[in-house]
Amino acid sequence: MTDTFTKNTAPAPDAVQPARVRARTGHRPIRSVLRHAVLILFALVMLYPVLWMIVSSLRPNDVIFRDPSLLLSDLEVGNYTAGWNAFADPFSHYLLNSAIVVLGAILGNLIACSMAAYAFARLEFTGKRLWFAIMLLTIMLPIHVIIVPQYVLFSQFGWVNTFLPLIVPKLLATDAFFVFLMVQFIRGVPRELDEAARIDGAGHPRIFAQVILPLMVPALATTAIFTFIWTWNDFFSQLIYLTDPDLYTVPLALRAFVDQQAGTDWGATLAMSVVSLLPIFLVFLFGQRFLLRGIATTGGK
Amino acid sequence: MSAAAELHSLRRGRATTKPQNLAAFLFLLPWFIGLFLITLGPMSVSLYLSFTDYNLLQPATFTGLDNFTRMFTDDRLHQSLVVTFTYVFVSVPLQLALALGLALLLDRGARGLPFYRSAFYLPSLIGSSVAIAVLWRTVFGSAGLLNQGLALIGIQGPGWISEPSTALGTLITLNVWTFGSPMVIFLAGLRQIPTMYYEAASIDGATKWRQFLNVTLPLLTPIIFFNLVLQIINAFQSFTQAFIVSGGTGGPADSTLFYSLYLYQRGFGSFDMGYASAMAWLLLLVIGGFTAINFWASKYWVFYND
Amino acid sequence: MRSVSIRRMGAGAVALATGAALAACGTSGGADVEVSEEPVTIRVTWWGSDARAELTNEAIAAFEKEYPNITVEGEFKDWGGYWDALATTTAANDSPDVIQMDELYLASYGDRGTLLDLNEAADLIDTSQFDEAALATGQIDGAQYAMPIGVGVPAGVVNADLFEEYGVEIPDDSTWTWDDYAAIAEELTEASDGAINGSSVTGGNDVGSVKYWARLHDNELFGEGGKVTLDPEVLASMWQYNLDLIESGGAESAAQAVESLNAGVGAGSLATGKIAMGFAYNTQITALKEASGADLRLVQLPGSGEVDANFFKPSMYWAASSQSDNPAEAALFIDFMVNYEAAAEILGTERGIPANNEMREFVSGNLSETDALAVDYMNSVVPGTPPVVTPNGGSGVEPMIQRYTQEVYFGQSSPEDAAQALIDELQAEVDAAQ
Repeated sequence: MTDTFTKNTAPAPDAVQPARVRARTGHRPIRSVLRHAVLILFALVMLYPVLWMIVSSLRPNDVIFRDPSLLLSDLEVGNYTAGWNAFADPFSHYLLNSAIVVLGAILGNLIACSMAAYAFARLEFTGKRLWFAIMLLTIMLPIHVIIVPQYVLFSQFGWVNTFLPLIVPKLLATDAFFVFLMVQFIRGVPRELDEAARIDGAGHPRIFAQVILPLMVPALATTAIFTFIWTWNDFFSQLIYLTDPDLYTVPLALRAFVDQQAGTDWGATLAMSVVSLLPIFLVFLFGQRFLLRGIATTGGK
Repeated sequence: MSAAAELHSLRRGRATTKPQNLAAFLFLLPWFIGLFLITLGPMSVSLYLSFTDYNLLQPATFTGLDNFTRMFTDDRLHQSLVVTFTYVFVSVPLQLALALGLALLLDRGARGLPFYRSAFYLPSLIGSSVAIAVLWRTVFGSAGLLNQGLALIGIQGPGWISEPSTALGTLITLNVWTFGSPMVIFLAGLRQIPTMYYEAASIDGATKWRQFLNVTLPLLTPIIFFNLVLQIINAFQSFTQAFIVSGGTGGPADSTLFYSLYLYQRGFGSFDMGYASAMAWLLLLVIGGFTAINFWASKYWVFYND
Repeated sequence: MRSVSIRRMGAGAVALATGAALAACGTSGGADVEVSEEPVTIRVTWWGSDARAELTNEAIAAFEKEYPNITVEGEFKDWGGYWDALATTTAANDSPDVIQMDELYLASYGDRGTLLDLNEAADLIDTSQFDEAALATGQIDGAQYAMPIGVGVPAGVVNADLFEEYGVEIPDDSTWTWDDYAAIAEELTEASDGAINGSSVTGGNDVGSVKYWARLHDNELFGEGGKVTLDPEVLASMWQYNLDLIESGGAESAAQAVESLNAGVGAGSLATGKIAMGFAYNTQITALKEASGADLRLVQLPGSGEVDANFFKPSMYWAASSQSDNPAEAALFIDFMVNYEAAAEILGTERGIPANNEMREFVSGNLSETDALAVDYMNSVVPGTPPVVTPNGGSGVEPMIQRYTQEVYFGQSSPEDAAQALIDELQAEVDAAQ
């Protein structure tokens, strides 16, 4: 039983799909062209802002706000070198700091949230509904009223001015969003699969690790990608907890370019914004394949 | 299949009679530690502060229900409720519909889908960077790109984010436009649907539309439910967008004064953290109420595979 | 479930502990003001951009050379985040030792006992080179809570390129009136055939413009003892003037004014050449010229020839935290930053034109072209009596003015109603904080 099971879950994504693709596109070429036309048009609307950012980052400061077009007359590469070297440390320093925080947060969310989700989705225990409600309640209070007592707490732990306040909470599954997400996904996995494993004598740790986890790769990928993006862009908690400029992350560095009263080097700001977008774009571009590795690929049973 | 089903009911019967407290506790251990060590403490403090006059810099003094009674006469609070409810009820359904539609379109069956998915997700990536504020002015300003386009067909557009009558509508549009997150969750959900169901359906001769209605939609309901609940929770707490577009003021003339933005202004701008805490707990009650209704209603339309 | 209920008790303990820490803050005094011979580390925080960070870090290095036993940790943030972080750390009794302070927040922090009265460190900070009027901008009820770093003066800005392009004479700023101003603004709009507007709205986008208008009418925004003394009729007349200016086309529309305000100094209407005249501070000329690339000049605002409506606005201060364990070293740092040539040489006019007379003299030797404009302008101005410092509870006055101004300019309320409502709301905010 275990053997057939593992065989089924082994990813064989292309076995089913290409046939379907060919069948569909082959039937109706006109419809396909139309569909692409709509998609391309739509993609342009979606892409304009990013293209504008890239183009503007290559313009001199006094042109940026006068020209909403996407045509470049001359290239101002100087924005990139100016932005990269604007602070005491090169911009790569802030990228690295952000990467450390992000990786810690992803690891934490993947492990802790999936464990909690397994309990809520598959186990029966006293007060389950109450605990679940409490979990959802914890994400309903705005950060702005939590931050002061939380700061007091973390400074008593001696965590201020370290990455710990940004990472440890993730290791303790405080991101209820992802717990709930994974609960919904696990409940979509047919229970027959658990039962089959249990008959083979598997306990909960094994069912969790060998049955459920492999089947919820899309949910895990979603969690990883979202954690990456949200942590990468998160401003407020990083602002409060990181005070030493050596620990600054990308969002803090980007804001530090801006001075509404005394003027801002917008060219450099936009250039570094483009640089900071690159990692998250690449992560999504290459991470999305894991989104698509679901139970669907197990075929018939 | 039938053997498995038999087994299923058998096991299920046993599972419900015997709680698995120890296993559950161990799986929930990190969460429990986080809850009791990190989350509940600050939450209880903020609950206490909601009954005090607390200016951040001096000790809080207990004032009973003063903060809550003050809410009845606070016009800006009422304005922020109007803005926030409008935003939630208009933007959440629109955004979810768009996200679901595009997820279906981008699921499979055409070339270049990875590219389209990434392109459609991009606006959600740039969400709150400082550059976005600049960008929106460039596009939606009174002499911005949008109005230049409208001028070509003889329409004189307003200053979309700088006039009280259009600012909130523009923010809602921008929010709908960042449908990337629910779309990605829908995409992942679609991949979770076992292909065997489609194969069975097509053997039965079901059309694509029938397959969508009878297979895709029911099996996707847990994910639709998730997106609905979370988008409502998030929309009620919406902050960053309005903060960036209005420079933190909720302007022009309070037309984009979101509840969380007003709460932030009270707490940090005016050193009125006691009142801000009270506002936060009122918000929690409202969101909690909507979430409870959602869970209650889910019994009638959400289909779980377990 | 036994272990769970134990943890629940743990949460109670945590909540109590954080509550106790919150209650303790603000009341706890710092250490004695005495210079230590031992190695000491102090934290210094400021808002501003990358350019300021670079200069300040250089000055910090110079300070550490002067006082080898003191290590300075610099922290910098953007304006908005700065105040959130400062409030949070101060609430947690963990504020930095030296704080860059703004006029709007000075009383909010000072009155609540979180700033050190620098009189306690009088022998460590030399104040002899500051005018009484300048020092007064950092005093509340006799306590010197902060040392002014630089000062600015409200000013008119004209875009000489646009005046030339549309064939309009730049007016004589020593005699012009607000009526002249409106006429010139209209003339510019017409001459450009609507390509530009003559002026921005001249009042309501910031608190300085309201103060100036009030002082023209022998009135003040704030009086002593936390009174809002602004006359509603005066405020209404400022709004009415601008409504007329918008109506006639002399000023840009209300929507454009909002866009310009949100864009900030470097990207607003003046910087992008959409208007030819506007309101600013003299020290902003550098940023404006850099962003616009046009020939911008500083002119006296209308009316200043007749009444001493001008005033020095402290662009920012240095303050020390009352929570500091090393107040003496904090005072030494402030002293160094405002009184030493070694610091002035590095910092120049980046934080405004030095309020310290000797240092102003010192830096005027090698000013950039735009800085020279700002200094010349300041020297030409005769300031009236200094305005009262924004009282405790008034830190939100600027967004409040902007909000009511927008209501008026978008026609949602009449100038008279809005003026009374603003004054009532502002007075209530101040009263609530007293």
